[in-house]
Amino acid sequence: MKVLFNNSRAVLICILLILASFSSIAKSVTQAQAKAATEEAHNLWQQSIAAGHEWSTIKPLVVQSKKNLTAKLYFSALSLAEQAISQSKQALIQAEHEKINWLNNLPK
Amino acid sequence: MQRSILITAMALLFSCIVNATPEQDKKLFQKFYTDRFSDIPISEFSNGVYALDQDARDQWEATLDFPPYEYALEEGEELFDTPFRNGKNYASCFENGGINIRQNYPTFNRQRNTLITLELAINECRAENGENFLAYGKGEIAKISAYMASTSEGSIINIVTPTKGNGLADYKKGKQYFYTKRGQLNFSCANCHLQNAGRKVRSETLSTALGHPTHFPVYRMKWGGFGTLQRRIASCDAQVRAQPLLGQSETYKALEYFLTYMSNGLPINGPASRK
Repeated sequence: MKVLFNNSRAVLICILLILASFSSIAKSVTQAQAKAATEEAHNLWQQSIAAGHEWSTIKPLVVQSKKNLTAKLYFSALSLAEQAISQSKQALIQAEHEKINWLNNLPK
Repeated sequence: MQRSILITAMALLFSCIVNATPEQDKKLFQKFYTDRFSDIPISEFSNGVYALDQDARDQWEATLDFPPYEYALEEGEELFDTPFRNGKNYASCFENGGINIRQNYPTFNRQRNTLITLELAINECRAENGENFLAYGKGEIAKISAYMASTSEGSIINIVTPTKGNGLADYKKGKQYFYTKRGQLNFSCANCHLQNAGRKVRSETLSTALGHPTHFPVYRMKWGGFGTLQRRIASCDAQVRAQPLLGQSETYKALEYFLTYMSNGLPINGPASRK
């Protein structure tokens, strides 16, 4: 019984150690990802402005993502940056599509 | 063989649409509304949504016994008449002393090769006389512009569009902006105010783009004061979640130019009040 208890305790400690190391790795990966994602979000947002199709919803996401990155809130920064990236890509698709599509709106 | 004929025909059609003259655009634009609302005389489009919605019109007309903009309009007149520090005033900057000229703006200035809106001209007048620029959109500039519009009541909008050069390029820029979908909601100005004019968005009737520029600046209850046409355009952009542009940006000036030209022939009846 005592051996079993000791073994269980050892297994539990091992599991905790493994989880702790995963958590540490995940945290460092997220920090790098958040920084890259925030930079990509900023660049794509600027591209949408240059294309003349900036959405009002993108800037607040980019600004808050940068703030969260500075505050070391990496998960939140990454999440906001990903939303900004997604919206900026949609805005750029809209800009490309509307180069021709606006003609379909003319009165017929 | 058939395919190449089809492609050529499509290219020709595309070219005709893109290169339609402003006059052709205006005829088609006005015809769209007069066909769709065949029981409404064209001059009635100056009343915006109140030409389409009798209930709203009754309420609006009831407010006109004591127009909510009366005091702001008087302030506009006072500001217009108040001399600058050098002793001159706004009248010295404009033809006809600034009276009865609203219907000619925006105008393309060939010497400077740029579009001049009435609000821009007001601010340039201030700068020429050593005064600071006023903020665009609301406040003093909207009051002065409203007073100037009031002196044009009944005058017919008479925008001249160049047939070549930058003036035509500006016109086309404004035209493209009007028909281009933008913002997260993917709406163009035309989606609401042309294709769906007269229909409801929630409880509100969508007004026709024909006649929009006749009654600006408007006194909006929501704003609690006068606002210029470009302020209203910025609100529309924000509503479709597009980033509004700055007042008097080249694009907004071009859009105002296009819209006002589309309303050529309609009488000025501003300033007006709106919800």
